[in-house]
Amino acid sequence: MDADLDIKKQACKEHSPEKEVMKGEQKERLIHDIMRENLELDQEIKKLEAELQSDAREFQIKENIPERKLKFISVENPEDAGRFSHSSCSFQVSSQILYELQKGQALITFEKEGVAQNVISMGKHVVQMEKGCVEVTAHPVPPTIGVRFRVHVDISQMKINVTGIPDELPEEQTRDKLELSFCKSRNGGGEVESVDYDKRSGSAVVTFVEAGVVNKILKKRDFPLYMNSKCYRVTVSPFIERRLEKYQVFSAVSKRTVLLTGLEMVWLDEETVEDLISIHFQRRNNGGGEVDVVKCSLDQSYTACFEE
Amino acid sequence: MSVTLNDVLCSLQEEQSRLMMKLQQLKRELVDSPRDKIPFPVPEIPVVFQGLTLQGRQVSKFLVSNSEICCPLPGGSALVTFDDPKVADQLLQQKEHKVDIEDCRLRVQIQPLELPVVTNIQVSSQPDSHRVLVSGFPEGLQLSEEELLDKLEIFFGKAKNGGGDVETREMLQGTVMLGFADKEVAEHLCQTGQFQVPLGRQQVPLRVSPYVSGEIQKAEIKFQQALHSVLVTNIPDVLDAQELHDILEIHFQKPTRGGGEVEALTVVPSGQQGLAVFTSMSS
Repeated sequence: MDADLDIKKQACKEHSPEKEVMKGEQKERLIHDIMRENLELDQEIKKLEAELQSDAREFQIKENIPERKLKFISVENPEDAGRFSHSSCSFQVSSQILYELQKGQALITFEKEGVAQNVISMGKHVVQMEKGCVEVTAHPVPPTIGVRFRVHVDISQMKINVTGIPDELPEEQTRDKLELSFCKSRNGGGEVESVDYDKRSGSAVVTFVEAGVVNKILKKRDFPLYMNSKCYRVTVSPFIERRLEKYQVFSAVSKRTVLLTGLEMVWLDEETVEDLISIHFQRRNNGGGEVDVVKCSLDQSYTACFEE
Repeated sequence: MSVTLNDVLCSLQEEQSRLMMKLQQLKRELVDSPRDKIPFPVPEIPVVFQGLTLQGRQVSKFLVSNSEICCPLPGGSALVTFDDPKVADQLLQQKEHKVDIEDCRLRVQIQPLELPVVTNIQVSSQPDSHRVLVSGFPEGLQLSEEELLDKLEIFFGKAKNGGGDVETREMLQGTVMLGFADKEVAEHLCQTGQFQVPLGRQQVPLRVSPYVSGEIQKAEIKFQQALHSVLVTNIPDVLDAQELHDILEIHFQKPTRGGGEVEALTVVPSGQQGLAVFTSMSS
């Protein structure tokens, strides 16, 4: 077979040697191009496959929390002595349930769930406007997926993080030097309970016997460390433990609020339309009942906020 | 067999058309699959529109609530909270303060109270192969949280029910999270899906599905001053707590001594400790 191909090649070359060479070069370029294209296609495919796999279960949250006012509650004396070893901050984070109300849509909240369900099942409603009628369609508000969890942050009153520790002395000696420097009260230190030193990263966790020593030390960003006859400044920072609890994905469903569509061609102002819709749906004859709230969007869209 | 350029070209072109077909197929699948649909049961929380609309910049995706901030207080101190933050501010201008009692003086120090607050949070989530979500609890179950968690741990701790060692358990809103030592147990339970679990007098049909757990990637902290409060420290141990409380309250109510209307005052006696509890509210 090899021989055959070679003969064919020879034959081609003999027939049009120049053409063969050009074609050869072109083909090589083409091959390179196609290989590159195939690689790109492959990457695109991998990206789409990853996207399909990552479903809505994965929520990434990155939020700034605006400053809030602090309000005193009480001073407690809990039995668990461990609670005095740190100051803490904990709070709940919960997705805001929002609905983008488009022009021509309205939201109506009924007092009773049954009324809302009835209005939805009736589908179309003919509502009297000032000069004529408009047909609106009632829909359920689509459920929104949200997430909620509780954040706990504990800032130790007994421990601090130390970084930037020079690597000049052996491990055991460095640990001793750290203890000696941090117990000097003239520098703001206090009696040291233990030092957990990691030579590789040049960092340590220093635990003090008494709570509150850390506050004095942390007033500055660094602390003097005496090694041999030199004074180094090591960086100090709070020892913080963070954890998350009660992480939960939920589906926010609206049982009493109904979405109305079909108001695009209405030329009245929003308030008037809201009143007219309210009047219509208050009547039991129209399948309605006691109405809590109506919000309608005609000139601009609104972001409606749903609450528990 | 030697391969000619033509052969290489052919096979590459075939490869390309195969890749393009696959790409088209995936694109179709992506359009079809409703990304918002969650393939496992998710508890429903009823919400209602009460007329609140948000404008532009106000819209943040998350609500912060139920916050609790705790700060230990040293013995021999007192926490005074005023109605007017200006009073606290004025007092803090002088670190040393003298409290008059009958014929003698107490020399004390006045400090601001700095509390930790979280300014930025980064949380990521992923399916946790060791944990499951148990759902389908009927309304009106006459069990306390502890009782329910115990019964679930007992049931799902048994190999004969397809379970295994339960390491963690957590009550969520309307559902329960169970964490197993062995991830195969968790997987197997999810595959089985439905279980009849004895909860008190009844056999309740419950559903087990995979659990997505969250992890804090980052939580930035800063210290915020409690503007209405001051911490009185280094109080000499000469009076008993009740007397000290009364004297301090009288003293700090006097505008002539730099005080004002006191909202709350708590003494932490010498040799004891106290934990100040605050909450935060959106302005």
